[in-house]
Amino acid sequence: MNDFDMGVIVRTAARATIPLIGIFGAYVVMHGHLTPGGGFQGGATIAGAGILFLIAFGLGEMKKRYNKHLYSALEGVGGLVFLGAAMLGIGTAFFYNTLWHNGPFFNGKPGTLLSAGFLPIMNLAVGLKVFTGLVSALTAIALWRRWKS
Amino acid sequence: MKRTLAYLSLLFILGALLYIANPNYGLKFGPGGEDWLKYRYTDNYYIEHGVEEVGGTNIVTDIVFDYRGYDTLGEATVLFTAIAGAVALLRPWRRDEE
Repeated sequence: MNDFDMGVIVRTAARATIPLIGIFGAYVVMHGHLTPGGGFQGGATIAGAGILFLIAFGLGEMKKRYNKHLYSALEGVGGLVFLGAAMLGIGTAFFYNTLWHNGPFFNGKPGTLLSAGFLPIMNLAVGLKVFTGLVSALTAIALWRRWKS
Repeated sequence: MKRTLAYLSLLFILGALLYIANPNYGLKFGPGGEDWLKYRYTDNYYIEHGVEEVGGTNIVTDIVFDYRGYDTLGEATVLFTAIAGAVALLRPWRRDEE
């Protein structure tokens, strides 16, 4: 029951589409301060790739690839980086964007990738947090399901 | 018969909503025109000063991560709590193993 997958057609399609979904999610996260989207949306998109892997390849394959301690640590790191980026401008106010006008980096012209102060850092942190959190939750639901099949 | 009636009523609801949501003669959400600037000056402030003060050309990200940063902090906490609750509720309990 545990190593149940969805057959060779779905597995082949998933093998082709999972990298594309992941790349698109990474694009949404990285361009969060320029185009519609951001950390939450891009992280949820990448988590969709992980959930597609779980559905297409079955729980047995997912158990081999999924490391609980690594994902817990990455989620904590995401939250801490978010708080740390908010702390950067604590001299003026919490959540003050001090990197934007007088920081050493991330202060290019508006509309370029390396601009907008702490917004790219926060987008990456929140994206990491949402991705690891959603994959952990869905793996927990699949692993310890409480109904009989 | 029942199914046809259901589809017809759905169609009727769609038509009513389309009529209500028409901006020309339907429901109005808030004042339009010049009154908009008088009562919703905060929106206009974000649109005019967001790029200069925060730097992102996506104004929504400016608002979510800078002007309303505490809200995003709470949202991250809610996500963490939800996942912790799901894992705590779903994992095997002692009486399941008998």
